[in-house]
Amino acid sequence: MPGQHHDPVRLLLLTWMVLVFCFLFIPILVVVLYSFNGGRNLYVWTEFSVRWYGRAIDNPRVVSALFVSLEAALINALIAVSLGVPAGIALARRKGRWTLPFLALIFVILGTPELVSAIGQLIWFDRLGLYNGLLRLAIGHSLFNIAVVTLIVRARAEGLGEALEEAGADLGGRPLRVFLRITLPVMFPAVLAGGLLAFTFSFDDVIISLFVQRPGMTPLPVYILSSFKSVLRGDVAAIVVLTLLVSLVGILTAAALLMKGRAKTRTLQAGP
Amino acid sequence: MRLSATVRRTGLRAILPRWYQALPAWCWWLFFFVTPITWVAMASLGMKPIDPSRGAVVFDQLSLANYDAATGNVFFAVFLITIKTAGLGTLICFLVGFPVAYALATKVPVRWRTPLVFLLLLPYWTSFLLRTFAWRIILAPQGELSDLLRSIGLMSTPLMILDSNTAVQLGIVYNYLPIVILPIYVALDRIDPAFKQASMDLGAGRLGTFLQVTLPLAVPGIVGGVLLTFILAAGDYVVPAILGGAKGLMVGNLVALQVLASQNLPIGAAMAMVLIGLLAVVVTVVGTAAFGLRSIVRLVRGPAL
Repeated sequence: MPGQHHDPVRLLLLTWMVLVFCFLFIPILVVVLYSFNGGRNLYVWTEFSVRWYGRAIDNPRVVSALFVSLEAALINALIAVSLGVPAGIALARRKGRWTLPFLALIFVILGTPELVSAIGQLIWFDRLGLYNGLLRLAIGHSLFNIAVVTLIVRARAEGLGEALEEAGADLGGRPLRVFLRITLPVMFPAVLAGGLLAFTFSFDDVIISLFVQRPGMTPLPVYILSSFKSVLRGDVAAIVVLTLLVSLVGILTAAALLMKGRAKTRTLQAGP
Repeated sequence: MRLSATVRRTGLRAILPRWYQALPAWCWWLFFFVTPITWVAMASLGMKPIDPSRGAVVFDQLSLANYDAATGNVFFAVFLITIKTAGLGTLICFLVGFPVAYALATKVPVRWRTPLVFLLLLPYWTSFLLRTFAWRIILAPQGELSDLLRSIGLMSTPLMILDSNTAVQLGIVYNYLPIVILPIYVALDRIDPAFKQASMDLGAGRLGTFLQVTLPLAVPGIVGGVLLTFILAAGDYVVPAILGGAKGLMVGNLVALQVLASQNLPIGAAMAMVLIGLLAVVVTVVGTAAFGLRSIVRLVRGPAL
């Protein structure tokens, strides 16, 4: 459209968009900046210092909570991938009457307030006699994350089609072998991205963790929440910034994988 | 070798459905999601045992007494505040977010769209706690913003927003803004430009095209985004716990108090059931089931995935 760049509506909308993006990111930058505030009172900027980071890392309760979070997130990601990947493939390739109820359940899982499912899990784990703190966290987080992995893998499987696997089977490959040597490598970006997202979501989760956690098995977000008593301490700010780093690495890697996967899908589809 | 493999496959196929690959996830969800949710409903009809060694809930006699307790005066007041905070928060999110979604889908060059949508989701996908804590630093009475507002003469007293419903409202809008923008963006992005061109060619102005073509086509995204934001905001626990203090409680905090602190799980379960009931009514009223389903599935798949 000629003269589009001088369109006042366009200018107004883009300005608004930039302002909203600033609104979203400035608070995050504020926390990162203030975690380097050496002053006793976190809210009043005095001098640059990394002393809160030193204090956070020296705290054995922080370190043990960090390891609980990492282990639970890892087990949760393994569950999410091993159940979500086949489910996503089936959704893309074995459509039928089962698809609608299955998608409806996914919708219910994604739309149920975490609080409600957290109470349910607390009751159910106690009834089952499941008192292993790590497993309670991992299973509790896995329910949402299986759904996430399923949807990501479904999107990738629908983009790819089944031609490669059919060729593999025609050449005499057994189903398991075809799955391991063809399906999985082709799906790999989506699988890894889904696993990373599952890991990150679990690592950041507060509500489910708060309800299902066992004494002595407190994950990091619950520790952070409980050490906050109306005044935000410098070491707590330092810990949240460190958790932000972990999440950022996970999310950015997942995004890079998905973008690469999409590019590859396009080349495969464009092939002979 | 080949033969036995074929026979085994046929044998398995006779027992398992065609979609057997989804069976493990289906069973896992039935056992660890559907069953626990059913337990919440059952626990709300039970009672707290006098003898604590019998666990958190017993079913000596089933009654609706917990719902009486759960809808008492305190809960009802908090419940109304929750609906107001979540409802107003959703409205503000929509008013702030719609122009952003529209700008992203129609005014930004195509190659910038996916990176920008990713940037939009980045805050949501990283630490929820950090984003909420941020407002305690920004809004602190002795903080820089408070000093700035006083030095330019906008206020005569320190900023006193923290530990109130206003702070919770702000935190909710801030945290859920990306959730309302994404589905609206997806809906707007899918509109074929030919529709708009046709509308223009037929003599409709820009405003007319927007109101009669673009907006109606974006309704599924709007409904999905608004519903999801409302559901998440109404069930929130973290924002009121960090920003609300004693004056900014929401239903989530009362439920957590019952279940975790004062240890009356059946009353907490009844409160949770009232919350779900409300959300179910809202979802049913605002959009038909199929409508919401499509939008939410679309939301989760997202353009970046």
